[in-house]
Amino acid sequence: MSLQIFGHWLYATPASTVLRQTVWVIPTIQAIHIVSVAILFGSALVSNLRLAGILATDETSAAVVRRYLPWMWSALAVLLLSGLLLILAEPDRTLGNAVFWIKMTLLLVAFVMTLIFQKPLLDPRSSATDPGRTASAKSAAWLSLAIWTAVICCGRFIAYT
Amino acid sequence: MLQDVYHSGFSSWIRQNPGVFPTIETLHVIAITLVFGTIMIVDLRLIGIASHRRSASRLIGELLPITWGAFALAVATGCLLFTANAPAYAANSQFRLKLLVMLAAGLNMAVFHATAYRRIADWDETVPPPAAARIAGVTSLMLWLGVIYAGRWIGFTLDVLF
Repeated sequence: MSLQIFGHWLYATPASTVLRQTVWVIPTIQAIHIVSVAILFGSALVSNLRLAGILATDETSAAVVRRYLPWMWSALAVLLLSGLLLILAEPDRTLGNAVFWIKMTLLLVAFVMTLIFQKPLLDPRSSATDPGRTASAKSAAWLSLAIWTAVICCGRFIAYT
Repeated sequence: MLQDVYHSGFSSWIRQNPGVFPTIETLHVIAITLVFGTIMIVDLRLIGIASHRRSASRLIGELLPITWGAFALAVATGCLLFTANAPAYAANSQFRLKLLVMLAAGLNMAVFHATAYRRIADWDETVPPPAAARIAGVTSLMLWLGVIYAGRWIGFTLDVLF
């Protein structure tokens, strides 16, 4: 209920009105959002396929993750910023929408998994070759990709629920 | 002919089942992110930004199958979306612009493959690559960004949303 009141308050703010009423603003922010999803998902794809032992196996996991993780963090920052602007412009579309909250939950899971399974590889002392670690890392890589895919699915379905 | 598509059983089926169109759209978005995500890695390497491996030809050989697979999915799902309301899409300026920009991206790729790519052995491990490759990379990035922007605008300008 309080969230609904917050949504109505947000909707009535001048900033929200300007974003909504300037014709090109929402399509442009959405396009920036999609491009950032592509950067994040493309990076997640290559690094997770490497961790799963499918792609670029002649390079170390650490080398691949070192190349893509900074791009993932930057893309994520742009996604959060553009996402916040989209919420500000159309609070009703998101804050009261169950699919939006499922998306946020899955996003948090994917983010934490990236912190657990990819970020430690940046540490030069990490032992990525440990067999036990590799087996769980492989499953985690596939699971990460599945969760990122689910985040995208939820994102598109916000428009329809 | 566009009206025939509109009145076909399959087209009506997409329009009449509320979950179908968003599902196809979702697959379309996933395909787009994979196309742009992988093509961008290659384009950045062509511009001279180091990738996860030094060799440009091996990077291209590694990622291009993913790009093509995703592109095939994007075209297939795109055709299904078009089928849902062929007359409206055909009349939509942003949709036409998107097709034109995609054509330009295809031409840019063809030119790259006919020129700089033929001599890739000479610059495979060179960073930055020769000007022809860098121009192809920048052009490709710009055009695909244009495709995405035009595509997003279709959702705001399509005449009849059923």
